[in-house]
Amino acid sequence: MARNELQRHSYAHRVVHWTVGLSFLLLLLTGLAFSYPSLFWMTTILGGGAAARVIHPVAGIVFSVGLALMFNKWVREMFLGQLDWKWLGAIKAYASHDRAAVPPVGKYNAGQKLFFWVESILGAVLLLTGLPLWFPADFGADFLVLMRLLHYLSALGAGLFLIVHVYLSTVAYPGTLRAMLYGRVTAGWAKLHHPLWYKEKTEH
Amino acid sequence: MNLSDSSLALKRISASPEPVAPGIRQNPEIAKLVDISRCIGCKACEIACKEWNELKVEPTHNFGSFQSHVDLSPDTWLLMRFNEVEIGGDVKWLIKKDACHHCEEPGCLFACPAPGAIVQYENGIVDFNQENCIGCQYCVAGCPFDIPRFNAETRKVYKCNMCIDRVEAGLEPACVKTCPTNAISYGTKDDMLLLAEDKLEVLNNRGFQNAALYNPEGVGGTHMMYVVPYGDQLKEYDLPESPVAERGAISALGAIKTIGAFLFGAGILATALHYLAVGPDTPDENSHGEG
Repeated sequence: MARNELQRHSYAHRVVHWTVGLSFLLLLLTGLAFSYPSLFWMTTILGGGAAARVIHPVAGIVFSVGLALMFNKWVREMFLGQLDWKWLGAIKAYASHDRAAVPPVGKYNAGQKLFFWVESILGAVLLLTGLPLWFPADFGADFLVLMRLLHYLSALGAGLFLIVHVYLSTVAYPGTLRAMLYGRVTAGWAKLHHPLWYKEKTEH
Repeated sequence: MNLSDSSLALKRISASPEPVAPGIRQNPEIAKLVDISRCIGCKACEIACKEWNELKVEPTHNFGSFQSHVDLSPDTWLLMRFNEVEIGGDVKWLIKKDACHHCEEPGCLFACPAPGAIVQYENGIVDFNQENCIGCQYCVAGCPFDIPRFNAETRKVYKCNMCIDRVEAGLEPACVKTCPTNAISYGTKDDMLLLAEDKLEVLNNRGFQNAALYNPEGVGGTHMMYVVPYGDQLKEYDLPESPVAERGAISALGAIKTIGAFLFGAGILATALHYLAVGPDTPDENSHGEG
């Protein structure tokens, strides 16, 4: 490891993250094509509608397994404490990059923690509502429409949070993406975004 | 009247806007009328269906019924169901011609997410286009009559198309053509409704006081209608008493999806505007005490 760099995500964490991330992108692409006739052409990329219909649930299983592993790997670090509520109170300062007004946080800030919980819950709903949609023949029309609605709403919610997640971890906060790609962050990045974690890491 | 006129003009296409092509010409709606009281149970219609549509023969076995197959399948689009029911101390055969009813409001088409996989012609025939079918089977759940069947090998869904290739050429469907007792009639829907009235009168005179026309309103009426001698025993015929095409909920889902699309766009726009407003928060690598 280069000087002034800190290890943030282990290899296993990164593999799990990208398993979930890439399978979700595949699911979003095919799901949007199924949801919007005007986007149905996107199935062409995957070999047509029939192929997309085969791929979507299989990708869903990969996503679900990845999500379960992800939950298991991260959950201990994701419970909200007093510091987190203080941080949420100062979310406006965080959004406007008013560094001095943002309470110092540990390895994860409250936004990341909430993202974790929201995506975990929505992922579980997506799995539960997706199973009857995978094998719909024996269900009634009303029940299936309800499943389609819940599946769509949870996908929409997950998609909206994903936009924020991708935005913050790439262009908004330079130096973040490499944490998930190579596992390392710079000392400056750690001091800026996660000062308590930086302190904890460097004191040893 | 030439029933082949414009029979391939489209009225509805799955997962596509409608009306498809509002023309000035009024195309006649066609219909089959099945008079159960005239059926002698010969099943010639089943054979004619298999032959005309070149459907694979499936081995049958005796399962304690006069019926040929246990159920419809991707290769069996027409099945005469023989339900033995005791009425007035007598055992009666309540026969049902189990095949697509060609609903005016087709639940299968409304449920279908694949553009062009299910179409409804102006003459009322509802047809599946397997080349556009993605095999999701939503139509199977959307059908209030439990008609479409999924082929796990081809991953496509199949059902009766009312011999669209014959109808288009001005011929009657194969089952109609072959029926030796004229139990199945074919013509414009208006003519079939008139014919049904006559048939009901005859049945009433013969003592079938509950004889009824089965043309359920919940699906906007059908293009295969029945005259049933025991109209009070619909359940015993395996005919749903009030089938409904699920359309309102699908439309509501569509409206919600439109809102969702705007939210998704707004989300992307919001991040772009935020970036332009405050830009990136870049760490200072050489300073100390920052943060």
